[in-house]
Amino acid sequence: MKKIEAIIKPFKLDEAKNALTKIGVQGMTVTEVKGFGRQRGHTEVYRGAEYKIDFLPKVKIELITPDDIVPQVIETLERAAKTGKIGDGKIFILPVEEVIRIRTGERGKDAI
Amino acid sequence: MQFDLGITRNGLKDVKNRMAQGTVTSLSPRELLRHYSDMVDGLVRKAFQKAQSSVPSPSICLMAVGGYGRTEVAPYSDVDLLLLHSPADQSDLSPLVEKILYPLWDLGLEVGCSSRSIAECVKMAQSDLQIKTSLIDARYLDGEYEFFRNLYDLFSKRVLHRKVRKFAESLAQDLYLRRRKYEDPAYVLEPNIKEGEGGLRDFQIGRWAVRAKYKTDRWDSILFPDHSRILDKSLQFLWAVRNQLHLLSGRRQDDLTFEWQEKIAPILGFSPGARGIEEMMRQYHLSAQKISNFAWDILERVLYEPSSLKRTFLFFQKKKIDPNFGLTRGELTLLDPMTFKREPAQLMTLFQHCQVSHGKMDFRTEEAVMEALPFIDDRFRRKDEVNQIFLKILRRGEGATAILKKMHELGFLSCYIPEFSEIEGKVHYDLYHVHPIDIHSILAVEELEKLRRGVYQRDYPLLTSLIQELEKPEILLLTALLHDIGKGTEGDHSIIGAEIVRQIGSRMGLPKEDRDLIGFLVSHHLFMLETAFRRDLNDEQTVFNFANTVKNLTQLRMLYLLTFADVRAVGPEAWTSWKDSLLTELFLKTAHLLETGENTQVSQKENETVKRLTEYLHLKGIPEYTEHLPVRYLSCYGWGEMVHHIEMALSLEQESLLVRWTLESGRLAKVTLCTKDSYGLFSKIAGSMFLNRLNILEAQIHTWGNGVALDTFYVEDATEEVERRLHHFKRDVEEILNGKITVKDLFPKRGESKPNQQKIIPGVVAEVKVNNRDSDFYTIIEITGEDRLGLLYEITQALTDHGCNISFSRISTLGNRIVDVFYVQDEWGEKLEAKQKVDNLKQTLLSRLTPPNNIS
Repeated sequence: MKKIEAIIKPFKLDEAKNALTKIGVQGMTVTEVKGFGRQRGHTEVYRGAEYKIDFLPKVKIELITPDDIVPQVIETLERAAKTGKIGDGKIFILPVEEVIRIRTGERGKDAI
Repeated sequence: MQFDLGITRNGLKDVKNRMAQGTVTSLSPRELLRHYSDMVDGLVRKAFQKAQSSVPSPSICLMAVGGYGRTEVAPYSDVDLLLLHSPADQSDLSPLVEKILYPLWDLGLEVGCSSRSIAECVKMAQSDLQIKTSLIDARYLDGEYEFFRNLYDLFSKRVLHRKVRKFAESLAQDLYLRRRKYEDPAYVLEPNIKEGEGGLRDFQIGRWAVRAKYKTDRWDSILFPDHSRILDKSLQFLWAVRNQLHLLSGRRQDDLTFEWQEKIAPILGFSPGARGIEEMMRQYHLSAQKISNFAWDILERVLYEPSSLKRTFLFFQKKKIDPNFGLTRGELTLLDPMTFKREPAQLMTLFQHCQVSHGKMDFRTEEAVMEALPFIDDRFRRKDEVNQIFLKILRRGEGATAILKKMHELGFLSCYIPEFSEIEGKVHYDLYHVHPIDIHSILAVEELEKLRRGVYQRDYPLLTSLIQELEKPEILLLTALLHDIGKGTEGDHSIIGAEIVRQIGSRMGLPKEDRDLIGFLVSHHLFMLETAFRRDLNDEQTVFNFANTVKNLTQLRMLYLLTFADVRAVGPEAWTSWKDSLLTELFLKTAHLLETGENTQVSQKENETVKRLTEYLHLKGIPEYTEHLPVRYLSCYGWGEMVHHIEMALSLEQESLLVRWTLESGRLAKVTLCTKDSYGLFSKIAGSMFLNRLNILEAQIHTWGNGVALDTFYVEDATEEVERRLHHFKRDVEEILNGKITVKDLFPKRGESKPNQQKIIPGVVAEVKVNNRDSDFYTIIEITGEDRLGLLYEITQALTDHGCNISFSRISTLGNRIVDVFYVQDEWGEKLEAKQKVDNLKQTLLSRLTPPNNIS
């Protein structure tokens, strides 16, 4: 099992969610996050005053999937979240040791 | 061995359930409580008598206290008993207590029992609020009646009617502490029917205060009849809900959670599904509000009502503010009770006085307001004086929310704006919207007031400065109050709401421009949120479209402020710095575009064009296609041309490149080229034209939102063979775009292009300006220089070499001078901002502007 974390542009969330649902992803956790990478923040000027936007708003999607569909999930995410411009975000893949569904106590793949 | 009380645990359950069914058909909720209490009385008495006969016991009195004392026992409420013994009696009562309690416990009753002497009771009641309040409701059950009477007399004399103000203070403290505890929005969605704001405890607090102060148990006797009737209805409703809650859950459940809301709503006769739940919760909130107001009102009266001696003294201190109102120690008083009946408009004046003098009205004046509500009619609502004062209250800002809250509490607001009553207490059945819509709307006004007062100066400096720029802040506040007014009706609440506010506006006599403004803001109050969260703010088109709808800076500012107020009023967690950043970015980019940017406004004539275009696209079945068309494009062509262009773009599915031309003469032609945009496209086209000796006089390069490149050129061929050359050009550009060949490959074959024999004419100074100021999305490069064949190719090639993606361009030739403007981005879709990059680019461009063989 793998945990997939993707940081994407906020307006791409719906697209990404729909695409993931279409390939059978059952659940995900979505968080509003802020940060910066190569795309730095910027300063805007209004009426002579500067307003700094140093951390850029992004959306983080987290989901756990069985190993066999990891490539499909990643490909889907890449396609859905891409604009081709800077700041499209990143995808991280992490190994997961165990998953437990609290209500039933199921473990492993069944608990995803 | 335990006694048999003549009923089993399950038997008792059955009785409860039968009673519950009775509530739906014949019994009122209060009667159910009463019936149930009577039944418990029977059981308790039986247990008491059996216990007394089985263990030797001294003379003693059995009393019901607390809610049980009031005969208000919900199916799983606690049953609190008090055993009163004589002070001399030192015998151990625990065997007796056990004998009483065990059989009751076995029936599943939650019984608690304490045993005290009269003196102990009185002493404890003096120091312990809970014991005191439980004794207020004490009721004799069995045993020595004399004991009960003694306690009652002593308690009334020494405790209940003494230090009434202090008692009221501790009740107020209790009220306040519970409010703090339950102010979490979660409790608004899933209220605690007993302890929560406006819950049953609040009502008791009001009742106890009445009892202590006025020595009567008829709480309704001090209110005017309409008021007490409404209050009683509210109370009955809460009881009805609580009874069901207990019966369904089978325990003392007082949290009205979603789970139970769903089950109870249909039982109480609300419509099925989510709508019924919303209706029930609406009634819940309306009821709770009434009860909460009652508790505070009574406490205020007790706390602030002066003694008769003091009243005479204050009478002389009274300051007259105008012929109708006086002010005493910060309290507004109506001088003549007939005023409102004679002159209803004075109602609004009263509220204005409250705001200006920072005072509150005394409770008699409040009652007078409530009594005068039936006099508010359409004449009142249309009266200029009334409306002007209302707007002034909003405009003044300071304390405007407090006044609105008071108007709302007294029922005045929904009489003055009857449309408002449609959203009173109405809830959304979801987790996001915490408050009922009426409260949410008033909270939105409060957010704006705070912004105006500078409370958010540190956190939101931009919004703070924006609200201070407003010419008519009252219009924004009024909009905030009414922005969700459409939610009382089915359908799109923004559209419906806009219609309603226009009507309200015209009733209030607002000028047309203000009505239009409010209508616009209400119909678009979700537009900024949707754009900021769902659209690409790095795409100029997004901001263009947004700016086009918002139209001007005033509307933009107001929309941003309204969005802020709306989201913040949803609940404390709804507004995050994350949302803030996106909204700020959209605001700033749009403001920039509207203020300093080029003409984003589609003019009247262009509007006509766009309208016809939209009609055409509708016929074609692709109404949303205009979305792709940039404003810069729309302002350049007529309708017929655009239709032609769109047809070309649509046939790109079959062909990858379309080139059409019309000949203006033997040497001049207008060329339209349509293909999918790609990096360096313009330089490939310019190169192909140059290879075919076509001189570009004018050109416009557009990239549409859907990636279509649509370019038009005026080209000239000095040798009058323009048509033949265009055929060649088309073939070349096709091959180049297919990647079969490059422009450079073709150069040697066709030979170096030699400039035409140059006449001696005044030279043109070459200049390259790189402007990063005027657009948030593009670096704008302006180039002037002396024209020559192939120059455009060299310039565009230089731009391509430096990683510039050309999104829009306008090429013109004035005599021998070229004036070219390019809107470019780097390969990441960003502006070119690094100084070194800009300098390098400038240098290259300048060197291309100076022909290598320029010997003069």
